[in-house]
Amino acid sequence: MAEKHKAAPMVDEVSDFEILEAAVRELAIEKGLFTADDHRRFTEFAHSIGPLPAARLVAKAWLNPEFKKLALKDGVKASLEVGIDWLNPTGFGTPSDYTDLRVLEDTPKVKHVVVCTLCSCYPRPILGHSPEWYRTPNYRRRLVRWPRQVLAEFGLQLPADVEIRVEDSNQKCRFMVLPMRPAGTDGWSEEQLASIVTRDCMIGVALPHPDRKQDDKRPIHPAVHPIQHDHGHDHDHGH
Amino acid sequence: MKRSHHAEKSTGKGDPQCFTGEAGPAKFKVGERVRIKNLPDIFYTRCQVYTRGAEGTVAVVTHESPAPEDEAWDNTDKPEWFYIVRFKQKDLWGDYPDAYPNDSVQTEFSERWLEKA
Repeated sequence: MAEKHKAAPMVDEVSDFEILEAAVRELAIEKGLFTADDHRRFTEFAHSIGPLPAARLVAKAWLNPEFKKLALKDGVKASLEVGIDWLNPTGFGTPSDYTDLRVLEDTPKVKHVVVCTLCSCYPRPILGHSPEWYRTPNYRRRLVRWPRQVLAEFGLQLPADVEIRVEDSNQKCRFMVLPMRPAGTDGWSEEQLASIVTRDCMIGVALPHPDRKQDDKRPIHPAVHPIQHDHGHDHDHGH
Repeated sequence: MKRSHHAEKSTGKGDPQCFTGEAGPAKFKVGERVRIKNLPDIFYTRCQVYTRGAEGTVAVVTHESPAPEDEAWDNTDKPEWFYIVRFKQKDLWGDYPDAYPNDSVQTEFSERWLEKA
């Protein structure tokens, strides 16, 4: 006889915002503003974008002083060179954000870090979706108030004479950090350089390091406590 | 499908670029000292409470756009200039550690929130 299966724990609560989203979406489809297929295509697009174009922008700026000048002057124009058109980011006519990208250049004396204390403003067309922690009240409230402590929690400790400059993104500008090129990368190609510029480096909570790549292989370990199948002694667990 | 007037205005130009040239001359310049006003914000604002009354320096004159207090109600009649203002941490939080006198916060305001310091 087949063993009785007990499902792995699941999150089964639906938040008010999810209900609101579904209600508005269904009304919009009913009204003909967009179709269910349009919505699916946009969702698929939204899940496919990531930080790679921004990493390439950083690598290009490290290698090419003229491109760096352009990136600092007009981030939207510079984005075109890494394949991102802010005016038509989806490629099928659905806008996704405001269109004023500002690139913040770190120097030996200034370290930028980005937050949106009001909500979760983020340069999605070029950096993909924001990490979950970026949207938490914890990060948003504390970064402007205790930046050094918060950065230390990310493992980043900077000398006192480096100015930590927090950029609170609250209007139509979107921000990404252009970190300094780390030592140990002489002679690297654009592709090699882009591989060490992670999402967190461009939010500003981390520094690029020649040994840490976006696509590092992660070891796979067997689970210490694998999911248990029901064997009739559930009440014995947890002592 | 008829798009909203805002979508029609910004398509192909971008937002805030579609408001370029509508705000007249900018009142403040980069490097000028400004103070953040403490205006009422009963309905909607994007001006953080922690900046109210603080003094800072204009770092960037960014673009023209309706202020969020108006745009939230679809009022785009009077675009304003926007400014990124840089504050010393010490000027925002009195107990910020003296060990880090250079640390700063930058954030953006529409012109109505600024006065000469």
